[in-house]
Amino acid sequence: MGVRVMVVDDALFMRNMLKDIFIKAGHEVVGEAANGEEAVARYAELKPDLVTMDIVMPMKSGIEALQEIRGADPDACIVMCSALGQDALVVEAVQAGAKDFIVKPFKEERVLDVVRRVLGAS
Amino acid sequence: MDMSKYQELFLSESKEHLRRMSQLTIALEQDPSNREGIDELFREAHSIKGMAASMGYENTAALAHHLEDFLDAFRKTGAVPEAAVDRLLAGIDLLEALLADIEAQAPEQDVAAFVAAGEELLQAQQRAAAEESEEDAAGGAGAPAEKPERTFQVQVELAEDALAPAARALLALEALKPFGKVESCKPTEEELKQGFAVRQLTVWLQGEAAEEAIVEKISAMPDIARVSFGTDRRREPRASYKEEDVRTVRVRTALLDKFVNLTGELITNRYMLQSAAGARDWADIGSGLNLLSRLVTDLHYHVLQVRMMPLDSITANLPRLVRDQCRKSDKKVKLEIIGHEVELDRAILEDLADPLVHMVRNAIDHGIEKEGTVQVRAWREKDLALIEISDDGRGIDPASVRKKLREKNLLKPAQIKALTERELFQWICYPGFSTAPEITETSGRGVGMDVVKASVESLGGMLEIYSKRGEGTRFLMKLPLSIAIIKILLVECDGKLLGIPVTRVLRTLDIGRDEVQYSGRQKIYPLKDEVIPLHSLSRLLHLPEHDAPTVHMVITEIQGRKVGLMVDRLSGQLEAFVKALAPPLNQLAGISGATITGDGKVIFILDPQVLFEAETEQFSMAEAEELS
Repeated sequence: MGVRVMVVDDALFMRNMLKDIFIKAGHEVVGEAANGEEAVARYAELKPDLVTMDIVMPMKSGIEALQEIRGADPDACIVMCSALGQDALVVEAVQAGAKDFIVKPFKEERVLDVVRRVLGAS
Repeated sequence: MDMSKYQELFLSESKEHLRRMSQLTIALEQDPSNREGIDELFREAHSIKGMAASMGYENTAALAHHLEDFLDAFRKTGAVPEAAVDRLLAGIDLLEALLADIEAQAPEQDVAAFVAAGEELLQAQQRAAAEESEEDAAGGAGAPAEKPERTFQVQVELAEDALAPAARALLALEALKPFGKVESCKPTEEELKQGFAVRQLTVWLQGEAAEEAIVEKISAMPDIARVSFGTDRRREPRASYKEEDVRTVRVRTALLDKFVNLTGELITNRYMLQSAAGARDWADIGSGLNLLSRLVTDLHYHVLQVRMMPLDSITANLPRLVRDQCRKSDKKVKLEIIGHEVELDRAILEDLADPLVHMVRNAIDHGIEKEGTVQVRAWREKDLALIEISDDGRGIDPASVRKKLREKNLLKPAQIKALTERELFQWICYPGFSTAPEITETSGRGVGMDVVKASVESLGGMLEIYSKRGEGTRFLMKLPLSIAIIKILLVECDGKLLGIPVTRVLRTLDIGRDEVQYSGRQKIYPLKDEVIPLHSLSRLLHLPEHDAPTVHMVITEIQGRKVGLMVDRLSGQLEAFVKALAPPLNQLAGISGATITGDGKVIFILDPQVLFEAETEQFSMAEAEELS
């Protein structure tokens, strides 16, 4: 059974790469967002099963978006995407309720593994 | 498996845990419902149990287990009743006795009686706890009383290349929470939130969860290398220092790195000096020597650091002592320890442990009447460490000291009258002297004050006593920071160079010979408003005396009074590495050691106090007579 995923990243390249990974694995990418503000709005509209959220984005950061989304929907399942060397931000995101995190550059199996585990647990 | 090689470690760690238990118990007496304190105390007992059981010390393990059960009941009620504190302390004492047995290679003493006596109390508590939890549950669905839960340890090892390890550890911790109540974890959650670099997370969970389920859940997470379980070996106590064997010392790796760096610089310096010497380049040799002296100073400082330990290592058991003492004497005494982080040479601390205990006991027994404060304060002043034990009690009554001096016939009445308060108080350190109206079990002032004074002086320090009737008493110990390397004042007598530790020197003074006055045959000099007797150091050492137009003096303190030592010359200061003298030279009274100067000369180091006592046994008496 496919999972309804929303991909949030300010880089189109990253969004496309993640989309390809998800689609190849049989998941459905129901929406995308390029910044935190858009992410909050689209989440309310789409109610995806899972969100991959870049941490550093313009307008509203991934962590702020995470907090807002979880404020409205405490069950929201959000996985943070970070780059190397952003440990402090990842810790902050985990405290704010991120279910897990993946670190760029993404490895396909790692991404899918996290999706499986995070959704399996909730 | 041969466990004997672990015995030393077992003993030192167990003692550490016991000391912590003792501190925690005392703290709980003040604040009986300190939940964290109860939990920590429980963990300490648990650690001892685990270690003792692993070592095969059955009685120790049984007793620790018993205390653990005993404490567990309080974890449920959330408070420790007063009666329980006594029992806990008795249990801690018994554990100490068991450790002493083990250390002495004797069979462990029996604990069955103690445990049996506690069972009843324990059952009563468990009933109370059960009732309470029933009460708690009564509002809900009437759930049965919670059954005792076990605590177990989960170790989560992260993969070596784990990304954002702190975040991963936090997630692992979150994932563990559904399996039981997290009692504690290392690193703590706070540390993880601050991004603490972590490779292993250790969590103590309280609950009955199946291990397989935990392994399955946690190892499914990315970047997890291993999940394992354990029940013993708790985390290290947080704030307490580590007690080690006398011959070993734990050194921070940062300090070792510093040594490596300094060694590196010394090697570079050597090459620099060698090439400068080869080229006969005096300017380069000069700057090379400057650098060398800086490096050696630096090295000296850091080497001393290795020997330094905080005062805390000997003050840690004082709260317990004060408590027991208060109980026995029915007094209310508040103990304040300020500056427990001040560091001193471990050898000094070892010698100070007993005197400190003695002075605190004295303060409670003789200073405080019903209620008051005893303060132990330590601070640094230049090259000295000062430790002061003060109380706000009744103070020493000069009249009663004078009376005692008369009764014991230690001085003539005229001499007694002539003594200033400061000199007078020094007499309480006279062997066998006591002003306590009754000698209590633990102390009578005088029993031991001589030992205190001797200890301080043998360390090259000074003991000063201040007291004001009705306001309290202060004992001030002025100590060198280190005994291996000390600053000495160089003086010359009959062409011989001698050293006096600067800790013993109040000041130096040059006066014209015509300024010396006489009182009878005694040379004196009026220094401010005090008349100080002058003595020739040459004469004390049986060396020929030389009269010069200028009199050089070293002012020191003997028996609480200032004394001027006349020397031929003051020749400056030196940092000396003091070596003890080998027999028979160590029999020489007044000579505490020797050091060798850069040009190979041996300099004897004098202890003016002992020198005086040996030379003029009735020194203060003879002199007081002449002064009066």
